[in-house]
Amino acid sequence: MAYTPQYYPGNTSVGANRRKHMSGNLEKLRDIPEADVVAIMGHRAPGADYPSTHPPLKEMGEPDCPIRQLVEPTPGAAAGDRVRYSQFADSMYFAPSIPYWRSYWAAINCRGADPGTLSGRQIIEARERDIEAYTKKLMDSEMTDVARCSMRGCTVHGHSLRLEENGMMFDMLARTEMGADGNVYYVKNQVGIPLDKKINVGKPMSEDELKKRTTIFRYDNIPYGGKVGARKFDEALEALHHMWELRTKWGFRPE
Amino acid sequence: MEILPSRFLSPETTQKLLNELYKSGGIVRMMIQGPNLPRTVTYGPGKGLPIEEHRNLLVEVGGEVLELRVKVGRVRLELEGEEFLPGIQAACERALPFGFQIKRGRFFREISTISDYAKYGKDADKRILGLVDPRAKKESALAILSEKDSDEKEER
Repeated sequence: MAYTPQYYPGNTSVGANRRKHMSGNLEKLRDIPEADVVAIMGHRAPGADYPSTHPPLKEMGEPDCPIRQLVEPTPGAAAGDRVRYSQFADSMYFAPSIPYWRSYWAAINCRGADPGTLSGRQIIEARERDIEAYTKKLMDSEMTDVARCSMRGCTVHGHSLRLEENGMMFDMLARTEMGADGNVYYVKNQVGIPLDKKINVGKPMSEDELKKRTTIFRYDNIPYGGKVGARKFDEALEALHHMWELRTKWGFRPE
Repeated sequence: MEILPSRFLSPETTQKLLNELYKSGGIVRMMIQGPNLPRTVTYGPGKGLPIEEHRNLLVEVGGEVLELRVKVGRVRLELEGEEFLPGIQAACERALPFGFQIKRGRFFREISTISDYAKYGKDADKRILGLVDPRAKKESALAILSEKDSDEKEER
């Protein structure tokens, strides 16, 4: 019998969305040109050569090693690219992804990536051409909503703040703006340096759509512990309690 | 009392709200608060670059032009009496297109703290206490809207 990985328990839509994110089986919602993603990331000029930190692996004359023969290097590693990053902040008001889910997605689905989650933001590091491909995937997919998620290399706060009047997540550096046509535009790259041209990333999702696609349990949409007063909890919470119990007991009784 | 809108206010809505509040009367002092809007990028590779979007956030309240330096997320008021409360509620309903909370209570302190003492000395003007950050410059952070009644003034 073929093994099917089981990523996340529960029958709620949030549980289903979390499974989707972790499995990498994501819906593509928009197509942002590669050059635009590179410009927003801001590590190199779009179209410029990739600077390298070491010669291509083929020219390096690596030592004979069974693991090296088994594991095929990613394109970035093979070419000797620098390690660069992309960092996202997601609003707690029904953003499609939560920082931990971006990390799980990257750890499971992106080879050669180093994801890290800090309270309200999530960073992925990888070789330059790899991280560009991963970031494009993130920005094109349903893990990103253009108003409630944004790429922020610095001054990331906004996750737990109230939204602005037009439904955008607050950004101190004003990297994104809502255009008169209802589309969201990046006017600066992820560290706040102005872009040569505004980059259109499309329209934000409606509130209902966000609530349908979110991976955030919240009291005013799908709460973690079932409805208030409910006796039956979702399987996700049961599983969490189970893990907590085992871990606690292991801590006390390492048998 | 404290007004807590469910979203951050744009400069236009801020101006509308502050004017409605000012017109409803009975306000002794008023403070607006929210996340800082810096003029330049504060750190990272872009440090020092100007943030053009945060320039000219001017609002006109009671004939006085003030410059916003924060994204308004909270307004605190001291009223002359409870009878002005319904007026404030109505002003918020007129000015805000989304939900808000109003909390009743005393939000400004009356007794000088050590920071206040260091900044203003022992004969501090009690109306300033709790109105501005002790590190802020009084001239840029405080506005007096009515000279006739020296009790009526407003921050920023």
